[in-house]
Amino acid sequence: MDLGFFAQYLINGLVQGITYALVAVGFTLFFGVLDVIKFSHGDVLMLGAFTALALFLGLDRLSTPTWLSLTIMLCLGTLTMALLGALLCKFLVLPLKESPPLNTLLITLMFGSVIRESVRLFFPNGSNPKPFPALLPETSINWGNLNLRLDSVILIFTGALAIVLTHLFIQKTRMGLAIRAVAQDEETARLMGINFTKTVLMTFALGSGLAALSGISTGLYYQEINFSMGLMLGVIGFSAAVVGGLGSIYGAIVGGLLFAFLQTLGAIWFSVPAYKDVFAFTVIIMLMAWRPTGLLADRSAERV
Amino acid sequence: MSKLSVNNLTAGYDEADVVSNVSLEVMEGKITCLLGANGAGKTTLIRTILGLNNSRSGRVALNGVDISTLATHDIASEGVTCVPEGRRVFGKMTVLENLYTGAFLERNSKVVMLRLEQVYDFFPKLKERSNQLAGTMSGGEQAMLTIGRSLMSNPSLMIFDEPSLGLSPLFVKENFRIIKEINEKGMTVLLVEQNVRQTLEIAHFGYVLSQGKIVANGSVDVLRDNSELRAAYFGNA
Repeated sequence: MDLGFFAQYLINGLVQGITYALVAVGFTLFFGVLDVIKFSHGDVLMLGAFTALALFLGLDRLSTPTWLSLTIMLCLGTLTMALLGALLCKFLVLPLKESPPLNTLLITLMFGSVIRESVRLFFPNGSNPKPFPALLPETSINWGNLNLRLDSVILIFTGALAIVLTHLFIQKTRMGLAIRAVAQDEETARLMGINFTKTVLMTFALGSGLAALSGISTGLYYQEINFSMGLMLGVIGFSAAVVGGLGSIYGAIVGGLLFAFLQTLGAIWFSVPAYKDVFAFTVIIMLMAWRPTGLLADRSAERV
Repeated sequence: MSKLSVNNLTAGYDEADVVSNVSLEVMEGKITCLLGANGAGKTTLIRTILGLNNSRSGRVALNGVDISTLATHDIASEGVTCVPEGRRVFGKMTVLENLYTGAFLERNSKVVMLRLEQVYDFFPKLKERSNQLAGTMSGGEQAMLTIGRSLMSNPSLMIFDEPSLGLSPLFVKENFRIIKEINEKGMTVLLVEQNVRQTLEIAHFGYVLSQGKIVANGSVDVLRDNSELRAAYFGNA
């Protein structure tokens, strides 16, 4: 295989990997602050993509310029899902704080189904895949066997930027300090004057906004979305977070990229793309057997 | 003048009352201690004062204002800080970040820097270690950090929850010396302890808690040879 092919796979894998990492960061944040697994995460991602699509359909009628539509879709799509994430946390997750973690897991799983089925039933013709507008520039450079699409590059940079900003937010800001304090020791954080509920809601908003961004990126990249797209992305994002080490942001990034890398490897190896997920999940299972606490988390409970 | 007053407080978990009808006063500028053996209800009482547990009945007032329905972070913003039991530092944060959490409610960074300098003056060791992860420090250093962290909030009342628990004798002594020094600068202190002898050496007033009830109280001179105090610790022999 020549360098062009290799670079092509690398670029495609990076687009995927960043998308997975965005989902995984959400899982890791939620687990960090509340020790919960929120299984509606993938469906929030899907709803983010559909919200953006609905916005586009509206804006298109008003013949809004492309760049403006895109900006509005991104901002409103992520903000709406951030709000949904916070509400979901306030009304479904926080009330169950003292009950077994399994309850939270189940209730969010069910809520995810509610979101998914609602989109299928109430979005016009929602059970069929929907074309997503190609709003990014369609220019591409051909370089031997490498077809470098400008939209891939933009998506990689946007995703990476979102992750870097999230990291800086958590490491450098006052709110980030609160998130880390709550993640490490809830009670002591409260004794320091940190508003626990506000901090947790903020974290859920942040993670859900990132999921929406991931969903919109997926739509822009494949130019198609469907009501069940969140299922696979949710499972992959969760696996990525676990294999990287739940609670660690670096772990989520590593996990996301690793999963995409494994899929790419599987696709090349078996020459049948359908096997790529089988291969990737098999390797993830082996990795988890080898390092049950994840690749980057240390033995003690590492958080955020 | 009374800084903190607890009136007929009853609290517990599930069905059982752990403390019942407890009343105590913490005097402004003094060290008031709360003594009691394991399981006497000291921690439950402190947690209830701080809003970490709900009370069943009774009233907690700070400067005469009822705080019993406030959330923990609101109580903290009223100037109450707690040095928690078991040196609960944020282990994955640096020493400096731990200190910043103490000053979380102060938004003026100049004021925070000023307090940081004061804390560093008080504990030069924390300055040397400012970039070290708190979890990798020794128990004694962590104890210092938790005190420094609480000082960063510029509190008007400091509650120490069993500061000597699990520390080496040398650090226990050092800890009591620090608490005394902080008090001498004007801080009101509520000191919860099992270590009777050293606590009575630095405290002004004391309460003895046994099986969830206050069984003795008074100035430390009175408490020193109080039979109830002995009984609370060694049984009613």
